Formats: sequence, structure tokens, C-alpha cells
Amino acid sequence: MAQSGKGKLNYRCPSCFMRDLDLDMFYDKEKEEYYCIRCQYRGSEADVLEKNQMARFRYGAMMRRFEEKDFEDFSED
Amino acid sequence: MFLLHFQRKGETMDKFVVNIIHRPEMVPEYAEKVTGHGQAEDIGRKALLTESLDIFKTQQECAHKNGLKTTIEMTYASLFNDEAVALAKEHHEKYGDEIGLTLLGLPCKEFREKYKTKDFCIWMFSMEDKKAIVQDVFGKFYECFGFYPESTGSYYMDAELINYIKEKYPSVKCAVATCWEEGPKAYHTCNNSWYTFMDGGPWAPWIPSRQNTHAPAANEAEDSGIVAIPHLSRDLIACYDGNGSNFGTHPQNVLRGMIYDTDTWEYPYLYNLIDQYRYQARFNNGYSYNMMFVGPGWMNKMGRWEAPYELLLKSYEDGCAYYGRLKKEGCLIDMTMSEFADYYRAKKSYTEPECALWRDILYGSKKQVFWYCDPYMRAGVNMDQGGAIVDLRPYVAKLNWPVGIGTPHIQDASYPFLIQEKYRAGYFTHYAGEGTVRSAKICHNGEEVDLCLCRTKAHFSEEAISDENEADAAGLKNAAAESGEKKTAKNRILTLDPVDIEFSDLTVKLQTVMTFTEGTGSIRIDRKVLEITSEVPSSKSAADITINEYMVGCYGTTEYTEDMSSLTLIAERGANASAGEGTDAEKDAGCNGGTEGKKIEIPYEYRCREASLAGADRVTCIVPPIETVVSMTCEGRDKAGYVKEGYAFSPMFTIGYTGKLCEKEVFTTWLNLEKAN
Repeated sequence: MAQSGKGKLNYRCPSCFMRDLDLDMFYDKEKEEYYCIRCQYRGSEADVLEKNQMARFRYGAMMRRFEEKDFEDFSED
Repeated sequence: MFLLHFQRKGETMDKFVVNIIHRPEMVPEYAEKVTGHGQAEDIGRKALLTESLDIFKTQQECAHKNGLKTTIEMTYASLFNDEAVALAKEHHEKYGDEIGLTLLGLPCKEFREKYKTKDFCIWMFSMEDKKAIVQDVFGKFYECFGFYPESTGSYYMDAELINYIKEKYPSVKCAVATCWEEGPKAYHTCNNSWYTFMDGGPWAPWIPSRQNTHAPAANEAEDSGIVAIPHLSRDLIACYDGNGSNFGTHPQNVLRGMIYDTDTWEYPYLYNLIDQYRYQARFNNGYSYNMMFVGPGWMNKMGRWEAPYELLLKSYEDGCAYYGRLKKEGCLIDMTMSEFADYYRAKKSYTEPECALWRDILYGSKKQVFWYCDPYMRAGVNMDQGGAIVDLRPYVAKLNWPVGIGTPHIQDASYPFLIQEKYRAGYFTHYAGEGTVRSAKICHNGEEVDLCLCRTKAHFSEEAISDENEADAAGLKNAAAESGEKKTAKNRILTLDPVDIEFSDLTVKLQTVMTFTEGTGSIRIDRKVLEITSEVPSSKSAADITINEYMVGCYGTTEYTEDMSSLTLIAERGANASAGEGTDAEKDAGCNGGTEGKKIEIPYEYRCREASLAGADRVTCIVPPIETVVSMTCEGRDKAGYVKEGYAFSPMFTIGYTGKLCEKEVFTTWLNLEKAN
């Protein structure tokens, strides 16, 4: 088995990201999967992207554009 | 669609000042490790140097094409690069950019050969090395440009370093001097490998004291001679809880946090962040501030984590475009760092605090916090916890805290806390023990409700201090006053929306008002019962409401406990209070009753002792390791002060007051910070 390397993009582990850890993953080209060296996550690129979307669950207002009146007016929330 | 922004109509234009800073970092942080994966380390690789300079050029172009001037912070490495030096000179002439000198970006072949180390954070070197490096870097700068810089910086600049630079190079008037709440959280995010521990500082520009960079100067004698600016303007909720490097006015930080739509590459959060900073002008005499400082490593051609180069570039272009648009519309003034230092000194007095009323703009909650910073304290107030104080730094101690090799704190530059809700539990929800917080409990008929569970909102106001003695205490001798401008000390007042506290037989409507009096190191908290309602009239008339105002504290800079053995708890009453430890009976059962002078002392021994004193004038904890005395004083009916020691599984201390409240009645306490002898 050859050594792992970085993928075309430098994906972080989505599982660790969700606990505020930035862990670069490595790519196993034989298995065509990314894996985390800290936790037990491993997955295809598609799975990484899917889990990254999942990680955004906490950003409930990520796409909301706040206006001046919103900074102290909570009635429209 | 996301570029809508606001402008206050019919009012004097607020001043929103922006510093945009670029550094030609010939060996960018991250880039060598990222682009060089699979190759042996070589920080002199030509490809790396070329790419670094290209990124710098791109950043400069992004700013200039949007009509923004920059401060070019030359790195040590870039001073050996003729093209970088020539570019800086050209842009200074053409665009009015300032040429400054950063102490970031030290790593390069020349540095490593000379200093034989891979250390790169200036505050972590020994004082001897700091001096040698500063002389070397400033000397090299002079060789290149024929003058000494007016601006410098790093992620952190310790007081000893600033004092030395100011003494040797008096032209320096501005420095990037801390990164807000970059500490254990950043360390964890980097899998326990990023040693930038600098929690506890101001989030907006300040004049550092000569004793401790984080603590603002209270007067001319304490003035370090520079104006400090934070490294980035950071989200005052998100950064306090999560990884600071995801939530700042660093467009690629927003990408690092994955706070963007992957299909459209839109990130309204970045603009919300900028706009909420603009909003702070109404709490700071019409002035607000932003700083954007993106190292070249973040615009790596290889991409950075999930973000391809195109997205990295787009985010930086969009950030500059937004600032540029605000400028064109007259809503923003771009300044170089040294210009800003002059502006700031003319605008601010020493004692004028920085205030921020901040709401959640990311997670979709209605959470609101208030941050207060002056030469005596930094305090964080959480409206989601009924206005509890959830962070408290006693700047009044002006703690001398040298950092770097050869000092007791090689890496840890954080200003110690007395309260930190994330590191030391806050309002307590776990199995056994207590967490640090300053709150109150309302009690009736054996029921007890902590205000931490009463979510509310706050409104900011100011009032001039009418009492001349109070105004004198506020220390109005300041830079602005010296220049002829008259300043009036003020109270900053936080008025919270009333909350309902429901007991089984009645409901208490209670309002909290917090007053921060400029120049005093005290926070006054008024709790007023606006109304008591009950379906049973006799319950209302006989209502026996008890209030317990308390502060649970400790000290430290990290999540882990420190030795509390040197602390002393005191409850005292009367001018002629007799000193003594008190009898065991007094400590265990409390000492209630009597009006004669009395002083009870409990040296901290983890023995879970408590003492109470009716009519106490003051309850105190002396915290020698951080040279701080924290106390509470009180005006209220049937007041009794108390102190609690804590134990090994709960290494905290508590000071507080209990008293009685009825309808329309107010119970007032002051939380006071002083420097210990």
C-alpha cells in the first residue's frame, strides 16, 4: 500500500470540524477516500461535501442579510 | 443582492474608519506546508517567493481599484527583496499607502541563518532576542527606505516589546497588538498546536498601558505612546464561543468557517459583520472601526482547504469592493495606520470606554451581548442570561505579565479573568460544583429562580456624570483634554427589558439596569421590582421576596484551574471593623445580627466554608496572583453580605449579598475592581 497524500483540494474532516477542529484529511487513492488522522471519519469526496453541508446546520442565519434596524429589533426574527 | 447597507439619515454622519493592511510575506504562513506537501522543507524555494509577491500585488490591486489606500507592512523577508521594496515605494507615491513594518513574517532564509531558530512569533522570544531582532528589522527597514516606520505590529505585542520599540524608535505611533479572543480555542482548533494565547484584550483600538498591552492606559503616565489596533475585527459572539479564525473581517476566515453558499459563493455574513461594526458608532460617540489584514498564505493558488483559489480571490475582491462602495457613498473613511493613530488620539480620552451592543448575526438566535472595555476592566454581559456578567478582566491591576522565553509565561499572553463562562462553566448546569458568573437569584417561599434563566434584551444609553467628585474620579486628564477639547465623563447605562419570574403563587416583574461609570472600575446593578401579580390577593400583600446577588469567580487564563490557596475572602461591617478570622461557628453557620464593627476573614483552603454578615459594608476576595481585589457593596433592605470558599471539586469563590424586595423597591449592588497592594 502506497503512502497517502493530499487530495485535489485540502479537505478538512467534517466530523472534527463540527467540534471546532480543523484537521486536514489525507487521500487514499487506492480506496478513493479521504480519511482523518485524528478521528475515525473516512469517506468519498461526495460524502465529505455532503457532511460539510450538514456542518452548516448551526448557521441558521448564514444567508440572511441584516439591515440597520435588525441589530436591535428582534421582532421580525 | 447582498450588498444592501444602511446609512443613518438626518443625523451627523458617523465616522466608520477602516485600516486595510497588506504584508508582502515572502514565506507565507501555511503556504510552505500546504503547497510543499510531499517535498522536503525549503523556505527559499523560488516558486514560493514568486507566488507570495504575486498575491501581495493582487491584494494591493483589489484595494486600489476600489479607491482604498493601504498600509503596507513590510516583513523582514520582504526587505531582502528588491521588487517588494520598489513596489512599496511606488504604491506610497501613487496611492498614498503607508509603508510600515510588521514583526510578522520573520521566517526566511536570512532570519533562520542569523538567529538559528524556527520561532517566528516576536512576543515569544527572550527579551534579549526581541531587542536584537527589533534592531535588526528596523535597521534593515531604514536601509531600504531611509526613514523609520510609524506603524508596526504582530499578532501580539507585549508591553516590554512596545516600550522598547517606542524608546528606540519614537516615530512608531501605531501597532497591531492583539487578536481578540485568540487563545485556547484557537489552540484546540489547530489540534492543540497553535500557541497564540492572547485572550482577554480589547476588540477595538485602544491605547495600551506601559504595564500590560491588553489593559488600556488610564492616564498619560501609563500611556505606552502608541495606539493599538486589533488584528481583524471579530464577531463578538461567535469568536467568544468558537474558533476565532472563522468569524472576522478577513474574508477567507469566513470561508474557513464554511459560512457561504457552495452554489452561489455568496457570504452575506461578511457584510453583516462589517455593518454591525458600523452600527457600534452609536455606542461610541459616532465612531466605529474595522481592520482587514489578510496574509498572502490565505490566497494560495493551491486553494485553502475546501476553497479553490477562485473563491479565495472572489472573497477578497468582494470585501474590498464593499468597503470601496461604502467609501464612495460617504459612509467610510479609509486611513493608513499612522493616520488612524492621530485620529484616535484626537478623538478619544483615556477613560472613554469602548462599548459594543452586539447581536447574533450568524446562528439565527436572538442572543444579544454587551461588551465594555476601559482602563479598569473588560466585561461581557449576556442578555440571554438575564444580563449576567459572563466575562470579567480586572485591567485595574495593570498586571505586569512578561511573556516569552525566560519569563514565567513563555506563550501565555492572555489577560487573566475573574469570570469566564466558557472556560469555567458559567451558569451551572452540570452535576456538582459551580461556574463563574455574576448574576442574581430571586427567592420566594422556598422557590428560587436565577436570572440567568430569564432571556431578555438590552438598550444602551449615556448620561453625563453630575457629581463633580465622580467626574474627578473619572480622570479627565487625557489626550483629548490636553489638546483643548473638553470631555465630560459619562455613565454608560444598559437597561434591560423587564422579565417575569413566575412562582407558584405570584409573578414578579423585575427590571435590571447596569451602570458603568467611566473611570471608576465599578459596575452598579439595580434590580427593581416593577410589579407583583397574583391571583391570590393575600399572596401579593404578604409577598416575601428575597434577592441573592452573587458573583462566583476564580482566576486564570485557560480552562484549567489555578491554585486558589493564596486567596482571602472577607466580609466586613463598620469603619472600625475588628480584624479576625471569625469563629468556626460564625464561618459555618454564618454571622448574622448585630451592628458593631466586624470583619470575618477566610483564607482559601478548599474547606467549603461560608460566612454571612448582616449589614455588611463590603464583601471581598483578594486574588494575589493577579494583584486584584474584587468586592461587592450594597444598598438594599435587610442586606447581608456573604462569602463562600469553595472546595477541591469546585475551586471557585463566591461573594454576594442577600436582601429583601417588595413592589417598586430597588436593590442595588456595586461590583468593584481594585489593584491589590
